Amino acid sequence: MEKSTIICRCEEITYEEIEEVISHGARTFDDIKRLTRCGMGPCQTKICMHLVNKVIHELTGLPFQDIPLPRLRMPLSPIKLETLATNSTSFYAVKSVLDELELEERR
Amino acid sequence: METEVLVIGAGPAGLAAAFETASRGLDVTIVDESTVKGGQLCQQTQIIRALPSIFQPMRGFELAKLLTNQLEDFSVRYLLKHRLIGLYRDGSVGITNEVDVFPIKFKKLVIATGAAENAIPFPKWTLPGIITIGAAQTLINRDFVIPGKNSVIVGSSDFAMDVALQLLDVGVNVKAIIEAQSDVLARDKEKVKRVKKSGISFYLNSSIVEARGKDEVSEIDIQLPNKRITEKVDLVCVDGGRSPILDAFYQLGCSFGYQGELGGWIPQYNEFFQTDREDVFLAGNAAGVSSQGAVIVTGMIAGVSVCESLRIIDNREAEKIRISLWRELENIESSLYPDVWQARINHIKSFKYPLLKNQFIL
Repeated sequence: MEKSTIICRCEEITYEEIEEVISHGARTFDDIKRLTRCGMGPCQTKICMHLVNKVIHELTGLPFQDIPLPRLRMPLSPIKLETLATNSTSFYAVKSVLDELELEERR
Repeated sequence: METEVLVIGAGPAGLAAAFETASRGLDVTIVDESTVKGGQLCQQTQIIRALPSIFQPMRGFELAKLLTNQLEDFSVRYLLKHRLIGLYRDGSVGITNEVDVFPIKFKKLVIATGAAENAIPFPKWTLPGIITIGAAQTLINRDFVIPGKNSVIVGSSDFAMDVALQLLDVGVNVKAIIEAQSDVLARDKEKVKRVKKSGISFYLNSSIVEARGKDEVSEIDIQLPNKRITEKVDLVCVDGGRSPILDAFYQLGCSFGYQGELGGWIPQYNEFFQTDREDVFLAGNAAGVSSQGAVIVTGMIAGVSVCESLRIIDNREAEKIRISLWRELENIESSLYPDVWQARINHIKSFKYPLLKNQFIL
């Protein structure tokens, strides 16, 4: 693929940047996300996930079933903080966030 | 808010699941981010033939209306322009209308979030005027906007054939359909014949090299098997296939398996269309990308299974209905898409052996 081709349109990450982090050992979407911001824009991986997985597949030879899904966190799509905070006393805190906190504590 | 059955997605699968549950007396709430019921069917003007035996062949938007109308007499609450944002620790899910966020408690959840179109990357594919094939259909049939004058289509699925004909109907010049494979992917040969007869060229073993344009696409280079050509276009419709929308399942802790023919990663489910979280069911393209008729049947199976799990119908009755629905699904799916049907069977067989699980626990 042409190096200048955009893979993540939200964050304007090109094929070349993804190729580079794969050459440094990135093997999953989340690896690439942490190194490049790929997938961290408004679409939250909805457009680039398949493109990135395909690049990983083509460059590393990993079969698709060995390239896991990126972590899909709450809120599932962008939401105003103002909206998210509304009425927040009436229910428990976000499960996935708490799970991650517990994870940190165990470490 | 509390409900017995919460359905996420008011497309064909969600509406079918809602009918099976609401018509048996359950209290049903349907959430959809759009303003209308029927999902993608609303902009489908093509005639859909492969439908469950209770339906006659009809156009997509007519089917949407029918699936909606059959819910009229029952206890169904619609939350349109609402979307799911995640799961709370007490087991309820968070729903927002963009002003408030509120929790909904449910006994059973049916996720029918459908599928999203995949992109095809090439240099400058992000230029305005380069859109997905589904976006082109939405623009013509829902918004009554002609998306361009001179176009090419990249990809040759059945859906691409439908939209190619619809683009011609509204006066868009479709110069060519470009397919990387050596054969047209659409299975409906009658439809392909109609497209060929309309004068659209098929470029097989071909792909877009790059797009060019200032502010919007104005020309593209196409690599044909023996030469490279340039076409002047102001519209490129990209048909990269579809993949299930999974974020709700991920958030709920469901496990996943991989089936390329069904669109890639899909939630693991059994013959009841039940995930490995016993209160979470699924239906439609979210359970593997298939045809509209198949999608409706999966919604019906999920709905019947929900009724069974809530003891509205007994196991024997449910099993009887389910067997006949599975037969319908096989008929619809294996006639045009035998590989999709086979992948579905394989997927259900691997229910106990998911590839991805426990994503929130190390």
